[in-house]
Amino acid sequence: MLRMEIALFLVIAFVAFIYFSTEKERTALHRTFAVLLIAVMANLALDGVTVYTVNHLESVPPLLNSLLHRLFLGTMVLVIYLFYQYIAILVEEETGKPRRLDKPAILFLAAALLGNFLLPISYTITPVGNYSDGPYMLVPYAAVAFYLILCAELLIWNFKVLEWKKKRAIGVALIIMFTVSVLQGLNHTWLISGMGITLMTLSFYLTLENPEDLKAELVEQKMSMLYLKSQVNPHFLYNTLDTIRIQAQLNGDKPVAALLMRLVDFFRMSIKVDRPLVTLDDEMDMLDAYMELMCTRYPDLHYTCDVDPELGEMLVPNFILQPVVENSLLHGLKNKGYRGEVSITAHIMKCHELHEDEAVKEHGSGAGRLISERKNGYRIDDEWLEICVRDTGSGFVEGRKALVDAMLASYAKQPPKLTGNSIGILNVQKRIKLLCGRSYGLSYTENEEGGVTAHFRLPLMEDNT
Amino acid sequence: MNKLKVLLADDEIMIREGFKRLFDWEAHDCEVVGEAADGMEALTKIDSLNPDIAIMDINMPIMNGLKVIQMARLKHPDMAFVIVSGYDDFAYCREALRLQITDYILKPVNYEEFGSCIDNLKIALFQRSAAKNDVPQEEERTIHGLTRYLQEHLAEDVSLSVLADEFHLNPQYISQLFKSEIGVNFLAYLTNIRMERAKSLLLTTSMSIAEVSEQAGYGDYRVFTKVFKKNEGVTPSQYRRDFLTQEM
Repeated sequence: MLRMEIALFLVIAFVAFIYFSTEKERTALHRTFAVLLIAVMANLALDGVTVYTVNHLESVPPLLNSLLHRLFLGTMVLVIYLFYQYIAILVEEETGKPRRLDKPAILFLAAALLGNFLLPISYTITPVGNYSDGPYMLVPYAAVAFYLILCAELLIWNFKVLEWKKKRAIGVALIIMFTVSVLQGLNHTWLISGMGITLMTLSFYLTLENPEDLKAELVEQKMSMLYLKSQVNPHFLYNTLDTIRIQAQLNGDKPVAALLMRLVDFFRMSIKVDRPLVTLDDEMDMLDAYMELMCTRYPDLHYTCDVDPELGEMLVPNFILQPVVENSLLHGLKNKGYRGEVSITAHIMKCHELHEDEAVKEHGSGAGRLISERKNGYRIDDEWLEICVRDTGSGFVEGRKALVDAMLASYAKQPPKLTGNSIGILNVQKRIKLLCGRSYGLSYTENEEGGVTAHFRLPLMEDNT
Repeated sequence: MNKLKVLLADDEIMIREGFKRLFDWEAHDCEVVGEAADGMEALTKIDSLNPDIAIMDINMPIMNGLKVIQMARLKHPDMAFVIVSGYDDFAYCREALRLQITDYILKPVNYEEFGSCIDNLKIALFQRSAAKNDVPQEEERTIHGLTRYLQEHLAEDVSLSVLADEFHLNPQYISQLFKSEIGVNFLAYLTNIRMERAKSLLLTTSMSIAEVSEQAGYGDYRVFTKVFKKNEGVTPSQYRRDFLTQEM
């Protein structure tokens, strides 16, 4: 029999290891489960030890034997109590109704533990194995019966409001507890309490405390926090700004009115994220509003843009320029006291395979990559839209360029960015790859005279549906 | 031409003040005759003041702007309505178009550019009255002849000099006529009817943008797209997409 106890202990120890190494929310429910895991491990360990001692009555001192048995059953009662507590918290979380039976449950636990250590113990010897017996055995059965009734009451009372998954988990646990108790009551030598406890723990672990679910829960929570942060009711925001703008204009302050108009414009344009692709003109409009505001805040900051009007109707992924320009400002020009220039250019790039060397020389690494990709069997069009965001900022710090390159190259493996305020260039990269295909994207080069240039490589998509 | 009477309905006093004081109504032959701060007041003022134009916020207390328009339409079929809304939302826009509003402008209102909206209103009012007098019994008034000719030859290269040749009139005189009869200059009128034609073709036919552009009188569809975007706030294809794909 000892082999089963060892196996069960190892299973639970493994579960505990995974559980404790998972990052999760610190709710009452998860904390209770953590305590439960520890109690179950203690119980299973004592289970194994008592299975040994009860079968070696001659060699183990009677006092030690009785103490171990009492400790074993004590932890078992504690485990059953924790099961009840876990289910009660679960129901409370789900229904929002406060727990009513905490006091009787804890009083019963105290009484049961007292009984467990005071009631007389005896041992029955049989050919298939020995077991402990006597009045103290009343304690675990009474505990099972008592907590089973409490749990059943919770389950039945809240049956309609509980989520199906949780109902099932609680139901299965209660059936296991009941079946195992009855079987153990009928066959004293089976000693299967450890199995019952392990099964119940596993049923909760697999359904409610699954590490994947916990992680997903955590990510979702952080995401929604981030989302909320950006969700000050936009209508409130720009209606209020607009009122201020009108007041300024009524007061005859035209520059302030014009600035507020640009700010309102920017907000309105950045809120319209329902379309994944927009025209380059739209994207430039938003950037113009943003840069006009930034240049007013920092008079030494200059902004030029040279976009062929012919390209205005090209479709580009929504909201890709502003995050990159913001990045240039915060990581490049800010270090120079916002003294410098950001320039945007857009043009169609052509690549002729015949002049391979020339193309590499002319267009730098971008064209080089194009050719090598073609050799690897990707189908690439000979023409693409290139948008460059060039700044005269402080440039990359030593080693930073490699980091950024690596991050942009392994975009798919990067976890979604959950910290900070900006959407970030990684997100821009991900969206370009998703919307335009893997051969397009964002890359950085360093300028000879300082600063960096961001290159967008985008497909030629025209808006003429 | 008589001055057009304008009613302003918006629950925010600042927006009404802005309209009243920041736009040069005088220069556009208009006059603000009343203000309303909620839907019910707007409806009452429409009945008592009988304005030509009502500038209407959508989101107002007691009764929303669309409801006001719907009810006012019953008694005042000729009135021109302009929706002013912060709800940058095509659901409202479609509902508004169903009610045959004349124009739809988005907050923040650029008061300097509000003039083109007034031009559109004048043209709409003119066309409505022209449609009423469409009984072809007596001698047609010159302006009606001119506008009818423009409608029929929109896809061609029409201009003041073409009109002058066709009607044996002085171009200067024609320009004057547009100003006095409709209240807008010739070019604004032409652009307006071209845009109207384009919009109706975009929504009722499956013509390509280039074809629509040609039908509306623009040889170069890039020019057409630019003008359209400036007037409607969206590109032609976007306009079509927004209206047709969200219909279900």
